[in-house]
Amino acid sequence: MSASLLPECLPAKEKYDACFIRWYTEKFLRGERTEDETCKKLFLEYSHCLKKALDSKGISKMLDEARKNTEDGDLSRRES
Amino acid sequence: MKVFESKCTFNYSWEEVSQANWRKYCAWNDKASHVVSVDTLSRSIDPATGILRTERLIACKQSVPRWLMVVVGGADVSYVRETSYVDPVAKTVRMESQNLTFNNLLSVFETVTYRPDPANPETKTIFEQDAQFKAAGGFSRFCNKIEDWSVERFGQNASLGREGFESVLRMSRQAWNDLREQGTSLPTMAAASAPSA
Repeated sequence: MSASLLPECLPAKEKYDACFIRWYTEKFLRGERTEDETCKKLFLEYSHCLKKALDSKGISKMLDEARKNTEDGDLSRRES
Repeated sequence: MKVFESKCTFNYSWEEVSQANWRKYCAWNDKASHVVSVDTLSRSIDPATGILRTERLIACKQSVPRWLMVVVGGADVSYVRETSYVDPVAKTVRMESQNLTFNNLLSVFETVTYRPDPANPETKTIFEQDAQFKAAGGFSRFCNKIEDWSVERFGQNASLGREGFESVLRMSRQAWNDLREQGTSLPTMAAASAPSA
């Protein structure tokens, strides 16, 4: 769908993205409420690959900071 | 604090829009060249509400004016954290984004929602976007300049974003129609996901 932060993670990302969009369209939008086990497995491989880049570029730290500062789903409410 | 708002209607069903939204930055969109990469960080379904929550990291490359380049130290890639919520029952997509880089200089909070057009719920979808810009420094003239530049640039990206998303919607519908004719399942996105960088 688009590139990955770490080029070497692209194959894993593409496999996961394709799995997700298929589940989203064929299952989730039709009422399915559980995640797909195959997609979950592909996601683990993808995020394992990505973690290196997030840590080495200092992004993990920035993300933790942002998560701490904004309650989930609360961005818009917080500002208003 | 400066605020940017925009609203438009897409002539596609909410289902089509919410699905194409995941492909917004794919190769079908040639209007989003400032987006370098999009990665999913986490994804879960709330068992009580059935709402799908996704956290993504988006890397953007933006040409920054020289007067601002001095301040950001020449870095041209910035990172954005996006959290989205898809409610399949209420039929809403809500996306919230915040910048992770340069936020000591400028904070940007963006909210985007997609919901069916009440007048044409089966065929049209309303898109609403709202962004707040807040420069962090104490030099008010400089902050104003940063805010003005950001709002202007955001507006340019927003209209390009609409154009680009229109082509993703068109291609998605085409792909679906082709499949329906063939009576097969969804293809993988491999053909359309060649990195554009």
